[in-house]
This record gives sequence, structure tokens and C-alpha cells, in this order.
Amino acid sequence: MGVIGYGLGVIGAGLAIGLAAYGVASAMARQPEVQDRVFTVFIMGAAFAEALALIGFVVALVVQ
Amino acid sequence: MEAFEKLPGEINHLVSSFSSIPVVGDLMTTGITQYTFWLIISSLLVLIILFAFAKRCAVVPQGRFVNGVEFVVEYLENDVGIGILGKESWRRHFPFLMTLFFFIAINNIVGIIPGMKPGTGTISVTAALALVAFVYFVGVGVKNKGAWGYIKSLAPKGVMFPLNILVWVIEVISTLLRPITLAVRLFCNMFAGHIVMGSFALMVSLFAEPLIQQLSLSNAAGALPGLVFAAILFVIYAIEIFVGVIQAYVFTVLTAVYIQGAEAAGH
Repeated sequence: MGVIGYGLGVIGAGLAIGLAAYGVASAMARQPEVQDRVFTVFIMGAAFAEALALIGFVVALVVQ
Repeated sequence: MEAFEKLPGEINHLVSSFSSIPVVGDLMTTGITQYTFWLIISSLLVLIILFAFAKRCAVVPQGRFVNGVEFVVEYLENDVGIGILGKESWRRHFPFLMTLFFFIAINNIVGIIPGMKPGTGTISVTAALALVAFVYFVGVGVKNKGAWGYIKSLAPKGVMFPLNILVWVIEVISTLLRPITLAVRLFCNMFAGHIVMGSFALMVSLFAEPLIQQLSLSNAAGALPGLVFAAILFVIYAIEIFVGVIQAYVFTVLTAVYIQGAEAAGH
């Protein structure tokens, strides 16, 4: 059950990172000179979204 | 596929090996767990690296080591210091932020080396770090606006009377949640990363086990899937080095954002 719950939880984080990558790709296509700053923002956004998935992973492992 | 059947038991064993085990003394009274041990080692490493850097610091940096550290410091200075805190006040808070960054980054990277544990891999250490950051940014707010002024400034100006009490309550709750999210984010990244690396390493060893016990052609064919898992393990290992630095950066940036929020004259 824990594995199924974790799989469901990851959907949200996957969508979030995908959306962040979409935003970065279109921002870079429109304005290539802001590449560096946009990439930093992307890494931070992805780290936040990923942290939620990892919390789910740890909870699924620790609480059984 | 008996390798897959053995996996759940091995993973339970792996997870239990990540709980704090005392090296000296015991858990109830005083003692040193394996995490504390590696925490001390990496604290010494931070001191050695940064004092060696400070000694060789010059107007024109020379050598790969000095240039490397200077690049990191300069990047954070532009990105976190001037970018978030602003030109007037970044000098006051920069030493604290750099201490946080180097401490967390070196702990994370030391933990990735096989056989070593990250000091930040236990919730106690990350909670202590987050508490330090919390006390620091509340302290900055109290120093700038006074205790009552800081408490009042949590509610944004320009909201009508009955509503601003509601907004104030929400802001207080979100401020109190900040240290918890900081601590849990760092801990979960380290813990989950090591569990994932450990699981792939276990898969490799489970596939290779029959081959080591008895050298034969069928066992060698059975060990081939282990090569795929070994390749994935290398990729995940590289990602984990990246994640260790990124998480230190995220912790530093968030602390800087909170300090900036406490320092700004109402938002």
C-alpha cells in the first residue's frame, strides 16, 4: 500500500517539475540572454517540487 | 528471478542501518552516534579548507584551489547577497549565510563517499540548523523593528481591519512552519538519496552473488542485469553529488529570503 501511495504522490511532483521545465524552455526561447538566471530559478523550483516527492518517499519507508 | 524476491528484506535491513547507532557510549545518556562522528570530521574539514583558503587569499588568486573557492564565494555573493538581500545590507548577513552553505555542502559531499555518513542525514542535525536560521531571521526582525513592531509587521499594510487579523494569523503560522520545512527538506533529500543509491547497489550485489559463490557460465549470464543496475548507480551517484550542493544552495537562499523579509519595512 505504501508503494501505491508513494506512486500517487509522485504524480504531483512530476507535473510540477514538468511545468517548471516548460516555463524555462519557453523563457529561454524568447530571451536567450537571461539563460543563466532562469536556469537558477528552474533548479530551485525543481528542488522545491522534488522535496515534496522525497517527503512522500521517506514517509512511505519510515511509517509502515 | 530470485534476486527480486530477496530485495524487500534487504531494503528493510538497509533502512534500519540508517537510524542512529552509537559508536561510543549509548543513545539514552551521552555518546557519539555514527552521524555525530562524521559531523565532527566534516566540521574539521570545513575549518581546514576555509583556513587554507584564507591563508592563500590574494588580490590576484592563483592556483586551482583558491580560484575554485573564490568562484563559489563570488557566485553566492552576486546571487544570494546582492541579488536577494540588496546592496545596503548584504555585508552584514553574508558571513552567516556562507557558514551555512559551506557547512551543509561539505557535510553532504562527505556523506556521499562510500563508507561515510552525511552529518545532515539525520533529522536532529537539520532541525538544529533550521532552528539557528529561524532564530537568526527573527532576531534580525526584532533588532530592526523592535519586538512588538516585528510581530505587527507580519500582517501586510493596506488590508482592511477585520481581514488583517486573519492574514496576520496565517502569516504567523507560515513563519512558524519555516524551520520545519527547512529541516524536513534537507533531511529527506539526504535520506532518500542514500536509500535510492543503496537499493541499486543492493540489486548489483544480489545479481552478482551466485557468480561470486560459483564461477560458471550460467551464473555469469545471470549476473548480466547487474551491469545495467551498476550503470544506473553511477548516474544516480553523479546526481547525488549535484543534489548535495543544490540543497545547500537552496537552504542558503531560503534563509536569505527570510532575512530579507524580516528586514524589509513591511511587505
